[in-house]
Amino acid sequence: MDQNNSIPAFQGLASPQGAMTPGMPMFSPMMPYGSGLTPQPIQNTNSLSILEEHQRQQQQQQQQQAQQASTGLPGTSGQTPQLFHSQSVTGTTTTALPGNTPLYNTPLTPMTPITPATPASESSGIVPQLQNIVSTVNLGCKLDLKTIALRARNAEYNPKRFAAVIMRIREPRTTALIFSSGKMVCTGAKSEEQSRLAARKYARVVQKLGFPAKFLDFKIQNMVGSCDVKFPIRLEGLVLTHQQFSSYEPELFPGLIYRMIKPRIVLLIFVSGKVVLTGAKVRAEIYEAFENIYPILKGFRKTT
Amino acid sequence: MFSSSSGDALALPRVQCPNHPEAILVEDYRAGDMICPECGLVVGDRVIDVGSEWRTFSNEKALKDPSRVGDAQNPLLNGGDLTTMISKGTGAASFDEFGNSKYQNRRTMSSSDRAMLNAFKEISTMADRINLPRNIIDRTNNLFKQVYEQKSLKGRANDAIASACLYIACRQEGVPRTFKEICAVSRISKKEIGRCFKLILKALETSVDLITTGDFMSRFCSNLGLPKQVQMAATYIARKAVELDLVPGRSPISVAAAAIYMASQASAEKKTQKEIGDIAGVADVTIRQSYRLIYPRAAELFPPDFKFDTPVDKLPQL
Repeated sequence: MDQNNSIPAFQGLASPQGAMTPGMPMFSPMMPYGSGLTPQPIQNTNSLSILEEHQRQQQQQQQQQAQQASTGLPGTSGQTPQLFHSQSVTGTTTTALPGNTPLYNTPLTPMTPITPATPASESSGIVPQLQNIVSTVNLGCKLDLKTIALRARNAEYNPKRFAAVIMRIREPRTTALIFSSGKMVCTGAKSEEQSRLAARKYARVVQKLGFPAKFLDFKIQNMVGSCDVKFPIRLEGLVLTHQQFSSYEPELFPGLIYRMIKPRIVLLIFVSGKVVLTGAKVRAEIYEAFENIYPILKGFRKTT
Repeated sequence: MFSSSSGDALALPRVQCPNHPEAILVEDYRAGDMICPECGLVVGDRVIDVGSEWRTFSNEKALKDPSRVGDAQNPLLNGGDLTTMISKGTGAASFDEFGNSKYQNRRTMSSSDRAMLNAFKEISTMADRINLPRNIIDRTNNLFKQVYEQKSLKGRANDAIASACLYIACRQEGVPRTFKEICAVSRISKKEIGRCFKLILKALETSVDLITTGDFMSRFCSNLGLPKQVQMAATYIARKAVELDLVPGRSPISVAAAAIYMASQASAEKKTQKEIGDIAGVADVTIRQSYRLIYPRAAELFPPDFKFDTPVDKLPQL
């Protein structure tokens, strides 16, 4: 499979044994792609692309469920690592139209080389779940927010309060801020694909209102994940030993704010054992950060 | 009266005791003498007195203070300028025909340090409101100077930086004040002080110790007028509660307030939750929540030598 150009972010991935973290969505390399491969003029591409996205997403979800059912229990560290490739079908299938970025250059899964699992350093067995993805896209044309607000459903626009139209769609449940410059921020999605699909839907709505909307520079800006380590944590101990990274002020916030340098992620660690990770641009950073913090947290487990 | 001075202009006259040339002379400024410590010989006299020119005895503030010395310099903080300025005139001659003063100066005395001087004044005012001692004020001034010179927080309001410096100084001196207490004497919101606090810690690359329940006991209890036994009992209760991990995740202030409530309710001086909440800056529902957590094991939390006015089983249950 062709390697995606925007993968370099993953080369720094320091998963402890090189094996796949259990529970991560797994994709078979040869996922059939369906229609929409033929190059289309801009308008048609936009209209068909949402269907494609939907199809892909559904297929992917089915695959995910099938794979997860067959894997068995996550958390056992003797898993056979599999070579899996990112989901990208860039460039070769859809010609890059002028002004239009390739459709699927966001990789969905990190690339890991084939290495045997080393049972000595066990993985935590816990996978952070993504809760929120914030992404931006440029629609490529100036917009008249008043007409959008008047004609679109589920749109609110209060120029005195904020200079953007706030639009919401139900599926995927997301909110978008659409600015008059044509730039848009999409928040609330639970996965990268959903964020992209939702952004496309918003672009479609804007397009249907008569603006020549394009879909340029889709980029995920922030990803938030959360998980539970299932034991209480001694935050006072953690702040003493990791002073240069941690900030724990019970008067200001009940959780400890841990700013990890590599990867650059901020973790909110609570006494109950719940951890929130934010600031990631790719999913792997969240997983890596959690794998880094888990042994530290185990060291500060409350014994009573 | 032995003074050695050679006629040579270049050689500095060096007074020394004739019997002990190596001895370092002790200066007695009151009599204006230099005395040899070995033999007590008065070596140099008529030394110029550097004390003050006048000694003012009167109680009421005389209109004219004849002292021509002025305020003490604080060289560490100001860059030590020795500038003088012309003050506003007194007397009739300094006003011209329309009543305006003839000499108008009032222009940029110390341009770059103007903001710093203002901030020091503000710090002094804030500290005075809560009766903070001189050492905390000095530490605050030093912190502010360091932050100001670094310029990394230049965009923030100086008052916010000053309030945050005051908070940090109290923490560093081992007598922390809650953010709400600093808020009470400052015009800045707690949120902004908290933000500046974190920024300053990062800019100065320092850290502060974690607050404990015991840091606030003496202040809260004396503000409530509780006797020493109750204060000691409350300190013990709060410490035990944290050790036994009965109150995970609760702010130490809330735990301290709940401990004070329990101790005061067991003694003769009962205080309501509202009173304690007012002093400590916590809501009374917060005290109630923390109290509910420590109530079940109240018997273990009291110090062994505590005299109960109300026995443990009669403590109020909220």
